[in-house]
Amino acid sequence: MDGLRWIAILSVGALLLAACGGDGGTSPGAEGSDAAAGATDTPSQAAGDCTLDEPVKVGVVFSQTGPAAVYGSTQLNGAELAAEEQNAEGGVTYELIVEDDASDPAQGIPAFEKLINQDQVSIIMGPTLSNTAFSTDPVAQDAGVPVLGVSNTAEGITEIGDYIWRNSLTEGQVIPQTIEAAVGAFDLQKVATLYGDDDSFTVSGHDTFVAALEEQGVDVATTQTFAKGNTDFAPQLTAARDADPDALVVSALAEEAALILQQAAELGIDVPIIGGNGFNSPAIIEQAGEAAEGVVVGAAWNSASDDPATADFITAYEEAADGAPDQFAAQAYAGMNLIAMAVESACSAEPDAIRDALGGITGVETVLGEFSFTESRDADHPAVVQIVEDGSFAILE
Amino acid sequence: MADFVRTYNAVLVFMAINGVLAFSMYAVLIAGQLSLAQAAFASIAAYTSALLTINLGLPFPLVVVVGVSVGAIVALLLGLPVLRLRGVFLAIATIGFGEMVRIVALNLDITGGAIGLRPIPKVVTLWQAYLALALCACFFWRLRPSKLGRGLAALREDEVAARAMGIDVVRYKLFAFTVSGAMAGLSGVLFSHFTRFIAPGQFGFERAVEALLYAVVGGTGHWLGPVLGGGFLTFLPELQRQLGVEAGWLRPFYNGLILLAVVLFVPGGLVGLGRPLGVSRRRRFGAAEKAAPSVEAASPAGPSGNGPLVRLEDVGKSYGGLAALANVGFCVERGEVVGLIGPNGAGKTTLINIVTGLTQASTGVVEVRGTRLRRTPANRVTSLGVARTFQQTKLFAHLSARENVAVGGHRVARDTFLRRLVFVPGARRDEASDLARADRCLAMVGLLDRADEPAERFSYGDQRRLEIARALCGEPALLLLDEPAAGMNHVEAQSLADLIRSIAARGVTILLIEHNVRLVMRTCSRVLVLDFGRLIADGPPGEVARDSEVIRAYLGTSADQPSSVPEAGP
Repeated sequence: MDGLRWIAILSVGALLLAACGGDGGTSPGAEGSDAAAGATDTPSQAAGDCTLDEPVKVGVVFSQTGPAAVYGSTQLNGAELAAEEQNAEGGVTYELIVEDDASDPAQGIPAFEKLINQDQVSIIMGPTLSNTAFSTDPVAQDAGVPVLGVSNTAEGITEIGDYIWRNSLTEGQVIPQTIEAAVGAFDLQKVATLYGDDDSFTVSGHDTFVAALEEQGVDVATTQTFAKGNTDFAPQLTAARDADPDALVVSALAEEAALILQQAAELGIDVPIIGGNGFNSPAIIEQAGEAAEGVVVGAAWNSASDDPATADFITAYEEAADGAPDQFAAQAYAGMNLIAMAVESACSAEPDAIRDALGGITGVETVLGEFSFTESRDADHPAVVQIVEDGSFAILE
Repeated sequence: MADFVRTYNAVLVFMAINGVLAFSMYAVLIAGQLSLAQAAFASIAAYTSALLTINLGLPFPLVVVVGVSVGAIVALLLGLPVLRLRGVFLAIATIGFGEMVRIVALNLDITGGAIGLRPIPKVVTLWQAYLALALCACFFWRLRPSKLGRGLAALREDEVAARAMGIDVVRYKLFAFTVSGAMAGLSGVLFSHFTRFIAPGQFGFERAVEALLYAVVGGTGHWLGPVLGGGFLTFLPELQRQLGVEAGWLRPFYNGLILLAVVLFVPGGLVGLGRPLGVSRRRRFGAAEKAAPSVEAASPAGPSGNGPLVRLEDVGKSYGGLAALANVGFCVERGEVVGLIGPNGAGKTTLINIVTGLTQASTGVVEVRGTRLRRTPANRVTSLGVARTFQQTKLFAHLSARENVAVGGHRVARDTFLRRLVFVPGARRDEASDLARADRCLAMVGLLDRADEPAERFSYGDQRRLEIARALCGEPALLLLDEPAAGMNHVEAQSLADLIRSIAARGVTILLIEHNVRLVMRTCSRVLVLDFGRLIADGPPGEVARDSEVIRAYLGTSADQPSSVPEAGP
């Protein structure tokens, strides 16, 4: 073989690597603002009057396998239920194209690319985890396809770009209300905190709790940590108990949350336990049983609401799926309905038109309550503070 | 095509990134080191490079260089303490390191802790990712037939024998580790600058296991293995998506099933499937076969100074309270054929291990070619011109006979890897001459016609002869044969005696340890007798055979007939 020729090829290769270095940021999405300006001229029609011949393709990326599958499965039920109801009404129909990101950003990116490039969806709902969203949402932003997150609670998601929306309240919106209500109900002076320190969700939840406690003038007597996958929390709970707090504030994922509740009860901890978003599932009550009584948790969805829409949703969900809906199901259900509102008000399946129509959504009725998008494309709707009583969530008075 | 690339851009890029990670695993596996620190190296490089890009805005090529260097340096620093561990212990230590890295990344402020680090600009393009993959593949393609590559393969097959061939085992392991770190670092840089977001959980134990899967499923027998393994396993979820397997638990289930099938039914990995199609090892040595072996003597290493080749003075070795050797002193002069006999447990193998540096004497002085051995590693002793065979054959079982022998030439071969890497023609010439030397040695022991067969297929007697050829290839001044006739029948022993004489005739000094007394008497000019760790006789064969103490040592009684010294071994 000719040695010199190969040297030449390798050198060219190295130069190529160097030359390509600066490139990468430019993409169709960069012209998004122009498209937005044009789209506002489109005459919008009143919702309900619109008819589209083709079904609107909605990409759905939820974690159906991996650690976040617990949330992803009820999310999918909620989204599918809403799509069925929309399709039954006629006018505009929706085709959900469902992909699994396996709770892994590296699988979320191909899923997004497939939905955008191959299926050419109008909008994408998801992904389940904020961590995945940080990797996937820029793909949609660059391609000019709107994304509606229905469970991303981390700070900074919608800052990724002007195509990124969410209908999920951030921890920063829910937790201060939770603490405020709990302080009012239990006259808290000092608390012990407990959180998983190796997960972005539980860490940011804990940070928000601490900030909210400080604002309310509540002391943190002790802070205990654990890791994902732990099953024995006795040392941390014992230390927390010995600090003699008025309440225990816990930021944990669902798997650990149920165990923590059970073991706290076994150790005789009878002060109220205030949980983060991870506690927000009927499954926890089911698993922890008696031990879940008295748990306080802030939620984006009030399952005990007297609103008939909520009752209808619960009934329909229980019929379609096995089991009761949780907040994640409600948020996905509401998300699909918000997408339908946007599509019908724009009367278009064009991504840019849908994006603009999302911006026009204010004060609409959803299962989450009266809903608006903020200037920064985040969710604005009332949060509720719940307490577990007799095996189900009730409003904390 | 363009459509395909656009639609599958991310999958294709991940295939390349994971392929690079697979190569980093391959780098240690081909040296026989089961290290699982690859994900940790990737993590460190990913964080370092991302921080450089975010905070300093360094250009991407520079970031790549820094990331690769960081991976390599960390691997080198970790390798220094942990590479003395073997097998599962090395795996555990490296898993521990990976966990440490994850914990640190979780708790530092600069890495963003559990929240992760973002936004990292996405700069990696498809072609850059594949260029990186191609560079890694090229590295190993050029490595395998070089002296370095052969040494790594020998190290994987048998570490003790590799050291006895003069291979600096520690340096070779560190090389493999450092290359592994560099490539893991490369994959980490590519990953972080493609996904725009990194968090500690992405580089945990699962990622380490993925790297192992990529390498093993692809196959470690060929440099294309990691490309296939990384590519196939990364494409699998996409393939299922295209085949219409519904998202959900079935996909991971099928993944597991396919994995199981590959490991069970294609043990050589995916690359093994290509073997019948012509990626055979025979072709690789085409050049050597053209260099027609002229059956010439392997010329012994030139004399270095005067004086005895080996000098022992008052040497003792004790294991706990048990004295294996005591007050042993003798010299071996240039050109001698010295036999060393003694009953089982007399300390013969201990003695040969001391002379070759595999063990240290407890007391006394050991000199080889004028160099005093004090904790001198075996490979250094080999470089003094000492070669040996083993009592229990220690061949590199999966390597061909020719490669086995070529490894034996480690001491005299020139390293060719760097020149190979940049395709300098001289490297090819050197390799051809190394293989020609190996062929001459094979011819000497009469095994040239089976040069391409793996050593494990040879019969016991042939394995012994192959070991002698391997020892000769290093052109030693002193050859130590540890019971070469053990297990040989009468005829084989006879031809072995001829072989030993012909080696001696070429000027190689020989120290022969044997139970077969007839063989020793027939071939040696001088005989040493060990009994219970003491030297009880030293002289010409005839004299020693009549020595009453020798006879007593062998028979347990004082015998009248000197000729009754036993003729066969155990």
